[in-house]
Order: sequence, then C-alpha cells, then structure tokens
Amino acid sequence: MITRLSGGRIFDPANGVNGDIRDLYVEDGRIIAAPASGTADQTYELRGRAVMAGGIDIHSHVAGGKVNLARLLMADDHRDVRALHGSLTRSGSGVATPSSFVTGYRYAGMGYTAAFEPAMVPSNARSTHLEMADLPIVDKGTYVMLGNDEFLLDLLAHGADQERINDYVAWMMRATAALGVKTVNPGGISAFKFNERKLDIDGAIPHHRVAPRRVIQALTRALSELGVPHPLHVHCNNLGIPGNIDTTLGTIAAAEGFPIHLTHVQFHSYGTEGDRHFSSAAARLAEAVNGNPHVTIDVGQIMFGQTVTASGDTMAQYRNRTFASPDKWIVMDIECDGGCGLVPFRYRDKNFVNALQWTIGLELFLLIKDPWRVFLTTDHPNGAPFTAYPTLIRLLMDRDFRNACLKEIHPAAQTVTTLGSIAREYTLDEIAIMTRAAPARILGLADRGHLGIGAAADIAVYAEDADRAKMFTAPEHLFKDGVEVARRGEVVAASLGRTHVVQPEYDRAIEKPLKTFFDDHMSLRFENFPLSEPELADTGIGLAVHPCKPRSRA
Amino acid sequence: MSEVPARGIACPFCGLACDDLSVGPIGVDTRGCGKAAAGFAAQSLSHEHRVGGERATLEQAIEVAAGILRGARLPLITGLSVDLAGAQGLVALADRCGAVIDRWQAAAQADTQGVVQRAGALTATFGEVANRADVVLIVGADPGRDYPRLYERLVTNKTPLYRERPPSVVHLGPSAAPPSGLPLVAQVPVEAPRLLDALRALSALLDGRRAGGGTAPDLPLAQIGDLAGRLNDARYGAIIWDAATFPAGEGDLCTAMVLRILRSLNRKTRCVGLPLGGNGNSQGVAQVMLWQAGWPSRLCFAGGAPEHDPWRFRSERLLASGEVDALLWVSTFAAVAPPVATVPTIAIVAPNTALRAAPAAEIRVGMAGLDHGGTILRADTVIAVPLAAARPSGLPSVASVAALLLPRLQAAA
Repeated sequence: MITRLSGGRIFDPANGVNGDIRDLYVEDGRIIAAPASGTADQTYELRGRAVMAGGIDIHSHVAGGKVNLARLLMADDHRDVRALHGSLTRSGSGVATPSSFVTGYRYAGMGYTAAFEPAMVPSNARSTHLEMADLPIVDKGTYVMLGNDEFLLDLLAHGADQERINDYVAWMMRATAALGVKTVNPGGISAFKFNERKLDIDGAIPHHRVAPRRVIQALTRALSELGVPHPLHVHCNNLGIPGNIDTTLGTIAAAEGFPIHLTHVQFHSYGTEGDRHFSSAAARLAEAVNGNPHVTIDVGQIMFGQTVTASGDTMAQYRNRTFASPDKWIVMDIECDGGCGLVPFRYRDKNFVNALQWTIGLELFLLIKDPWRVFLTTDHPNGAPFTAYPTLIRLLMDRDFRNACLKEIHPAAQTVTTLGSIAREYTLDEIAIMTRAAPARILGLADRGHLGIGAAADIAVYAEDADRAKMFTAPEHLFKDGVEVARRGEVVAASLGRTHVVQPEYDRAIEKPLKTFFDDHMSLRFENFPLSEPELADTGIGLAVHPCKPRSRA
Repeated sequence: MSEVPARGIACPFCGLACDDLSVGPIGVDTRGCGKAAAGFAAQSLSHEHRVGGERATLEQAIEVAAGILRGARLPLITGLSVDLAGAQGLVALADRCGAVIDRWQAAAQADTQGVVQRAGALTATFGEVANRADVVLIVGADPGRDYPRLYERLVTNKTPLYRERPPSVVHLGPSAAPPSGLPLVAQVPVEAPRLLDALRALSALLDGRRAGGGTAPDLPLAQIGDLAGRLNDARYGAIIWDAATFPAGEGDLCTAMVLRILRSLNRKTRCVGLPLGGNGNSQGVAQVMLWQAGWPSRLCFAGGAPEHDPWRFRSERLLASGEVDALLWVSTFAAVAPPVATVPTIAIVAPNTALRAAPAAEIRVGMAGLDHGGTILRADTVIAVPLAAARPSGLPSVASVAALLLPRLQAAA
C-alpha cells in the first residue's frame, strides 16, 4: 500500500530541504520515490503543516533499575497522575518517572519515534532490555556504562595495550546489546566505593592509581578504532560543583582529538565568580565547542518544578542528598561495575542557583553555533521530564517569551546572566536538526532522522502555530515505520519499536581473562553474563544492527 | 534458553539465584544446597489441566478461566511466585480485567518497599559485599536459614578483589539464631522484642548521642558501643538482614532504623545495606509492577488505571473480607496451593503442587528453571539471572497462559 503525504512543508535538513512544499510517498514502512503512476492508496492532505522526521531523544533515562528506584521514590507523582488504559493502550502513572507504556505513548504523542537510555550499568543490562520490551512505539537503545568497571580499571592500571581495551569494550557492547558507551564520572563511582568523595580529572582512582583522563583517552580511542558510530558519551567528573568548567574543558582535551560527546553540560558549566561563588561558564564551554568540531554536546536543560534526579554518579548524588526535596534519597553500589543514585529535586525559579542553572542551559543552546553538534535534552528526568520539550523549544524559538520568563526568575540571577542580550531565535530547520537529523547522525542511524528515499517512514506532522510550545506538544499525525501511531497526541495504533545496537568485532582472546574475572570474583558466572540474541528475541524485541566503520582522530 | 549448558545453570529456589549449578546424569549438582536439591528433586504430581475437578484440555480450562475473569466485578490475582515474563503477562491481565494484583504473604517485602518510598535506601549488590566488605553486621535471626549459600558466597568467599582477610562478622540478634557456620568476632545478644531498641541505641551512639540511659537496662550497651566503633572503623561495612525475621509489626521500623544507621556511617566511611528477599522472584515481580504501573505491589486496576494502597489492596485482607469475587492464583517456584476461598478460583500451578480442593479451573504450568527457560531477579534487584530448562517438560509457561487469556478478556475501554 502506498501512502501519500501531500502538500506539507518539509523540514529535512539531512537532505538540505528547508520548508519546501513537497509530497512524500510511503510504502512498506519506507519513504519511496514518487510512483510513476502518481497515485497512492491513501492520501493525507497536509497543506499548512510542518513535516519532519520523528524526534530522536539522544539522552533520556527511560528504563533500568535506577529508573525503577526513582519510580519507587516518586510515589506521590504516580498517585497524582494516572493514565487510563484504552482499547489499544495500557494504563500507567507518573510524570517525572512515567511507567514504561506511558513513556512510549507520551513520546509518540509528542512526535518522537526514538529514545535512548544513556546509563545502563553492565550488570543491569538483562533487566533493562526486558523492561524495554514494555516501552512501546518508540525505537530505543542503550549506552553501556564503562569507566568504573573494575575490569577496565585493572586493564588500565596494568598498562594494557589499546587493542586489548578495544576487545573488552567490544565484548561488553555485544554482551549488553548496547548502541554506545557512556562513562559517568570516570573513576569516580569506583572511587566512592573506596570512600573518596571527590575526584578530579587528573586525580588518582583509588587502588588502580590511574587518572580519569586516562579512562577518557582509552575509551574515546577504543570507540573510534572499533568504528562505533556514537562517540564516547561522557558525564564529566565533578557534576554540579561550582568551578567544574575546568574539568569539562579538561575532558575535551583528554579526548586528544578523538570524537567525544559531553552530556548534560548544563550541570558541568559552572564558574565560581560573584558574591555567591557560583556563576555561568556557558560562554567558555560554547567557545570550546565552537572551536572543536569533534565535540558534540547535549544540554540537560532544567525547567522549574518537581522532578527526580537519577544518575549512575553515586559520588555526586551522595553529595547532592542535602538538596533532596522531598527529603529522601537512594544510593546504591553496583557489582564492581557502577552504581546509581536517586535524589528528588524541586527546581525553583526564585532560588538563585536553580535560576542560574536555567539561564546556563539556555545560554549554551544559544551560544553554540552549530545545531548539528548540540542536542535538545533535559536529561530526563534530571533537569525536567521529557514532556517539557515543547516549552523548551518555545524558549529557543521565541525571544519575547524567553525574556518574559527571564523576568520571573531570581533577581540576582537576572542581573548576572547575559541571556537577555542574546537575540538568537532557533528556526524550524534548526529544531529539526537538533531533534532529528543530528541525533540520528551522531548515533549512526543511517535510515532515521531524515526523509530521503529509503529512509524509515518515521514522520511527524505538526500544525503550524506561532506558539511553538503548542505546535510541538502534539503533532496532528505521527507515523512510525509508515503506520500512523498517534493523532493529536492520542495513540491510534499499538506497536513495539526496535532496539538499535552495534556489534563491533573483537579478538576472542579477551574472553579468557574475563572468564577468570567473572568466575573468581563476580556473582554471576561468565557464561551467564552476556545477553544472547535468542534471549532478546524471546522478549519480542527486534534488533536493528548498525555497521561499525573505524575512524581516526580529528 | 532451551539448551541446557553442562555447567553454570541457575537456581530459582531462593533470592540468591546461584548460577554455578550443573546438570549431570544423576540430576542437578546443587553444590551442597539442600533447598536447591529439594527444589530440583520435587516430584511431579500432575500435568493435567482440570475444570471443576475433571480432566480438560488447556483450551477448555482457559475458556473457563476467562469466563470467570470476565464475569467478576473485582478479581484478585495473587500468589505470584513466577518468572519475569510471567509477571509481565499477569500485570497485563490485571490491567485488562480491572483486577487487584498483589503478591501473597509479602509483608516483609512491603515493609521494605514502604521504607524506601518514604525515606530511601543505601544498598549494594552481592558483588560489592563479596569483594569489599571488611566488616559484616548480621541483624536479626539468621538470614542464612532462608538463603542457604549466603555466607559461602558473600562472606567466606575465597577470592575477593579488595579484601585482604575474611571480614569481621558481628551478629546483632537472638543468641539462639546466630548465623550458622560463620565465625563471629562478636555476638550482641538481643531477643526479638528488643531488636528495635537495640538498633535505636546503635543509631544514637553513631550520632554521638547517649543511648538508652536508664530506660534500657537490659540492652547490652557496652557491646553495642563496641559494634558502633567497629562499624565506624570499617573501610566498607555491610549490614545484612532478612526483614522476614524482624519482629512482627516492627519490620518497617527496624528497616528504617537500619537505614538511619547507614546514613550516619556514610558521613565518614562507607557502609551499605543488603536486605535479603527475592524468594520466588518476588523482586522481579515488584520490578515488573514498578515499570508497568509505577508501584511495586498492592495494585488495583479497577478504575482503569493503577492505584496503590498498602492496606486496601493487600491480597490476604481482600480475600478474607469478601471484597473480591474471583481468585486467580499463580504459583510456580513455591508449590503452594491457593487458599481455600468461597469465590470462584483459577489455579495456575506447577506440577508439584498438591491442591486441597478442586478449583473451578486448574491449569498446570511449568516452572522456569526446571520445565522451561526464563529469567528471575536476584535479591539485590539489579541482576536478572537467566534460567535454563534443567528438566524440560513441554508444559506451558505462565507467560504463555497469560497470553492465551488476554485476548479472551473484553477490553474494558
């Protein structure tokens, strides 16, 4: 069956199309060339509508043990907001940590067709993937957390060859069915287990006596040499600490020219100026990003209101427990390979620090010039639930709205920020880049994030509205793999997306020391650790395997 | 997961989920665990599905079960000793037919969950305790009774990464129920009724306050003081308990006090909690409820959306009060028959379960880890353990039965 999407304004930056009025044709889940006959079995008249590829969220905590612990802490959130089941949909609850089905429906209702869980602890992989079988409609994938795993730290401590590190990274990515690798406070989660409370990029990780800088070097290089499309996804050391901009800039340097992605940089762009010794360093980070084409970032914007922070960074979360609102928190040490910490937060516009965090995030969006290298995230749920995206898009596209919001925040924050003087307004083309085309490109999803011939027909159709928040809240139509799955925010077809993975090659010699490590020290045996493809298939999850193409440093 | 590896199969019979068992010609080598040996050796009593006590096909039993669930105003789904896929299928059923779903006799787990909901947690997985803990405090009656290889795996393990010598083990609990087979550096004898007060005293000492004063003459305060010092001096302490052994009615208070102790200790050093649980995959069932609905237990879908209330939706209370009008009982890892109920009962049970009375529908299913493959979550909640079919039988799984029932229940949109 051929479906024609007729007369819409197409925003397809990957193919250089910026608001042109064109017809799209879809058959068997793919975008096809206009059929010679010019006819279609079904036509959607889309005059006056903006048409984009489905949104792709590069960093959103949607599944895994830590999200479930966050759900447990956020009992009030789940009591206050409950979603009824429908004839096609499952019921659920919650806003900051919605239950799995509701998460998928809300993403689809907002025009998104993929969301990536960025912090999968290796030992939690099996459980995370099982949970993602209940995350409907959207495609998904995970970044496995490395850099606090004792096996890797031991390799680095003993001066292992890069090839051996590459083999380990590749083995781990396959074993955990990952699309990317993230490092969280490299070395810091391990250090916290040895009772260290702070770790700088050139500090020594206890026991192993290697520096976080070395972890970043080894992992950025490994991913490049293995050809994993997504560069190392880095949550820097010293999250949330005034003055941490030096650590963040040091992290860029540590990559030594290899591609690197810095995540939720809003939390890592703090200076120490002013009476309160807390200031924006957004301009310094923006300058570094603008000058280093191998660097990409996502922002982790905060929005005011109640949420919960969920992170692998136990060191930071333990430190931040004093800000817990309501006053309860969880910290867990995990299996010699990671950890997790949950701290509920209520960001207040009249609180100086929170207000400045809000301006820092927006400054980063507006001062980083290349929309291909900055991604729209709230680090869901850490800065705000992902359902805040439409308002965030309006803040970026509408200077008057932004300046009106600025007038509401803590007065001292208003006086120190440069935000009010920044004239830039994002265009629809730039929004399509940062929420669709660029995430697909940086993740190596060749057939997603664009509307060219052969692309997957993940398509969002928005009614144009000068109020961009309203426009992006609920597209008129959302197609997932060619099937209309949501209409004006309501789910109209149930489906289960794919899980995107890469399967880099490795020398199986690495399995020998790994077997010894697991069987002698870990609590799960080596042969039971990896997820198998039949096991994943049993859960109903289909894998989309993306090719690896080795690359060199910039 | 249908292939049986020669070694390294996992055990579903307690929350430790040991995965170093092997299958040989004479059965499963359970590495000396009596609980696992009994579980794997369980005799099969019946593979037959029944309707009203008479033999029936699976389809006939499913139709009767579906009819009961369709006709019920408020069904109760309980038992819930099932694998992860089974739990996923059963929560889907509850959502479809507006049922209450809650694990049977899960008071200790609910206490622990309640403390986490209200106050939080400070915990670690098995691998951390086994590789780091230099001081281990066992609280309450011996948790090793229900978790037989606990100490072998986490305390006296031979090749830890970061521990130079076996940890110093202290027991704070009834002197008649010490951790069995474990050398102790100290025993702080506290009978069950005084456990909460002893924990309060320890907490007070750690916070630099006076403990007990004249109100607690029977508490061994000097020994509790020594224990406080030992925990403060530990590099990485671990507190292990099984809330099921805590005094009735005080489980949540004891757990909350342990959390307070952990919080005090972590200001200067490291100390983690390891609450045991997870028998019958109870942790896995809780996780499925959390991700599918937003709460870990005591859920009601009657209003078309999940609602959680630890008192109203407790399965034992609902069945006793007559508020539910149908019972769907599902139990595989534990060979437990459904409670005799006055409401129409559907029993989905493993072959080794003896039924006292003939339920309206009886569906015999396999047990994950024995009859078919599957996955369960360990007591430490993070690690999902794959189960192989140690003795494949061809019986349907809970998940497959739930999948047969689901389309037969009218969607109550």
